[in-house]
Amino acid sequence: MHGRLALGLVAVGAAAAVPLVAGQHILTALIVALHASYIALAWNVAAGYAGQFSLGHSLFYGIGAYASTMLYLKLGLTPWAGMFAGAAIAGAVGVLLALGVYRYNVRGIFFALVTLGAAEVAKGLADNWDWVKGPVGILLTMKAAPAEFFFLRREPYYYVALAMVVAMIVISLVLERSRLGQHFLAVREDEAAAEASGVDTYRAKTIAIGLSAALTAFAGSFYAQFYLYVSPETVFTFEPQLTMMLGTMVGGAGTALGPVLGSVLFSGLGEALRNLPFENTRQVVIGSKLVYAILLIVILIYLPGGLITLGRRKP
Amino acid sequence: MIGLDVVIQALLSGLFMGSVYALIAIGFTLVFGVTDIVNFAHGHLVMAAMFVTYFLFKSAHLDPYLSLVIVLPLFFGIGALLYVVVIQRIVDAPHSAHMMVTLGLLLVFENLANLFFGGDLRGITTTYTTSSYIIGPVSVPLARLAAAVVSLLAVGALSVFLGRTSLGKAIRASANNREGAALVGVNVPRVYLVSFSLGTMAAALAGAVIVPFSLVSPFVGHEFILKAFVIAVLGGLGSVGGALAGGLLIGFVEALSSLYISASLGNAIVFAILIAVLLYRPWGIFGQAKV
Amino acid sequence: MSALLAVRGVSKRFGGLQALNNVTFGVGHREIVGIIGPNGAGKTTLFNVITGVYAPDEGHVELRGLKVTGWAPHRICRLGAARTFQIGKPFAALSVLQTVRIGALNRIESMAGATARALEVLELVGLADKREHLGKNLTVIERKRLELARALATGPALLLLDEVAAGLRPNEIQDMIALVRRIAAGGVSVLIIEHVLEAVMRLSARIVVLNYGEVIAEGSPQSLVNDPRVIEAYLGEAYTLA
Repeated sequence: MHGRLALGLVAVGAAAAVPLVAGQHILTALIVALHASYIALAWNVAAGYAGQFSLGHSLFYGIGAYASTMLYLKLGLTPWAGMFAGAAIAGAVGVLLALGVYRYNVRGIFFALVTLGAAEVAKGLADNWDWVKGPVGILLTMKAAPAEFFFLRREPYYYVALAMVVAMIVISLVLERSRLGQHFLAVREDEAAAEASGVDTYRAKTIAIGLSAALTAFAGSFYAQFYLYVSPETVFTFEPQLTMMLGTMVGGAGTALGPVLGSVLFSGLGEALRNLPFENTRQVVIGSKLVYAILLIVILIYLPGGLITLGRRKP
Repeated sequence: MIGLDVVIQALLSGLFMGSVYALIAIGFTLVFGVTDIVNFAHGHLVMAAMFVTYFLFKSAHLDPYLSLVIVLPLFFGIGALLYVVVIQRIVDAPHSAHMMVTLGLLLVFENLANLFFGGDLRGITTTYTTSSYIIGPVSVPLARLAAAVVSLLAVGALSVFLGRTSLGKAIRASANNREGAALVGVNVPRVYLVSFSLGTMAAALAGAVIVPFSLVSPFVGHEFILKAFVIAVLGGLGSVGGALAGGLLIGFVEALSSLYISASLGNAIVFAILIAVLLYRPWGIFGQAKV
Repeated sequence: MSALLAVRGVSKRFGGLQALNNVTFGVGHREIVGIIGPNGAGKTTLFNVITGVYAPDEGHVELRGLKVTGWAPHRICRLGAARTFQIGKPFAALSVLQTVRIGALNRIESMAGATARALEVLELVGLADKREHLGKNLTVIERKRLELARALATGPALLLLDEVAAGLRPNEIQDMIALVRRIAAGGVSVLIIEHVLEAVMRLSARIVVLNYGEVIAEGSPQSLVNDPRVIEAYLGEAYTLA
């Protein structure tokens, strides 16, 4: 246990030292990988631990992005605080959605489709809402304003992303060792048996969705501040959802490090290839996505626990 | 005030596209009804057939309807291959595995298409691409009419197949009760294989017939799978008749909403309806509740 | 003596099938009561109604003096009724210890406390050395014991056992009988559905006989063996209490 903690601290230390040697390009690639790891871990809370396979997490991602952005543009609220407001809103939306859905005992593929539908509804509404500039989206100016979460260089964004991932890993580890976390696992494995063991499954599932939603929203705010452009086509689409799912499922759902492993592998690979002097970078990038997709299928069939299980000892 | 002729034109357009949507949804719902697998890659199978049809036209000047002779058996075979290599290994896995694996297939198809053909939108122009019958104030685009007719014929043929042939009955039996069907001698693995291949072939037919009036790109699959979901759920997952009714309904809703409100808002409304159906009537508007 | 569990006039219908019809009986404190009857008699449905999986169409269920009809299963478990499932439902990907600990968390807030309690229960049922094994890797008898442990860890006043002896070899049945006796001796009442007549006859102070969803007889094992209705419905002529 202490050996693992020491290892973890060394890893974090090493990661923190990276900006000393890495250029802006590499830092960008790492930020993308960290961002992907974060949202994978956030999705993992609901899907990996509690077994609630949501296909609509882009809903919460987008809420985070729009909330902090609009609060900044209209009220001058710094996105550092706006992030939390976005998370609160997303969490509330998640809880309301869960309360409604679980009341009707919707699960499995039907649950997945409801969440997908919810994200699509959000996208459609955002596309038609002039106040958020509809499909045109919102462009933020690149500037140096640290108090308002705007930086010119990559290093600060890197540290924020790193901090978010570390925090998320810690949250996952704490969850795993908590009563709530055990309830999540019970719900995932067998709801009837969980209920028969005294677990309030309705409450557990609702908390899982709400918590996961709030955590996902933080990433949406980060996206807005990093890419400086928020639109329905960028934050409410299936893209973020796909990223979260791929990372988690390939790396290992229901673990604290699996989603990180899978996400780093995927986005890190893609980004790194983009920067290398290949003949035809576009082809290489698409090729890497293709390879990853095949890897996903192979792992799901032959190693359903994800890549992380390769490092585990059998009891 | 929008004129009646414009409304009728929209409804006609809705009828035509709705028929094609129904065909796409039926392939999808057949696979789900029988194997309990939601094939997220179904829309991308449509896209793949569109590309094949496009290239047969570009290289051999083969009319899309004539190229069906190649496309249909080809995609039946592709479906069978997909089933044997990938799908049959996850048939007994949890639903989350189904979703992820078929999403993986979606990504494979999309990236293959993108890799070899690029992301540009392409189209073909046949002799009838721009032809229309004019009936009073309404124009009936020939290409869309033909697509709708072929789609409806295919739906009819599929219904006859499922209802009258012994293989069709075996498929329905397996959909209804897998163990029971096996106990009475139905070769369930073979039924699964045939169903999946048929579903793929249906998707391919739809893809081929819409090429004369559609743009082809690696990314068109998303729109088709989303529609397939909505239609299949509205019609009752596994129900062929329901998918037909649902397809036409969605066709109309889409056409009318483009007329009165924006397309994206219409999309949002469709998904809101999907959510409502999933919550209150998960067996579909046209389906029957199981006790 | 006030009853721990009181089932009064419970009826339940599924479509065209009347699964339970006006079922009334009770279980007292520190009592072992058996439920027997042919397949399809409604025994598991009765358990499902008592533990809140289904609400009955008519009648009600009282546990520890409170009307629990229509309560969610987890609330009934909190109040003190725990059940095992006939088709063993281990938490497949969780370890034996994790599974039982989830049950222990019903009464114990802290993870450390729940872990300690879970280990105690595992000792009692004889699974302590298998604590790290995953649910899906257990044998039939181990699954049965795990089910029992999970239910017991919730700290029930009433334990509902659904065919714990099914599929066991003769020596395993004897072990199971002894285990249930030990548990009951600790103050837990037991309501046990069984087909393995030896087990239910040996354990029960009282037996309720169900047929086609109705109670056709109730009494001591001795009296039922000679009851013509019970013989006709279920036991057959040749059964004698060994």
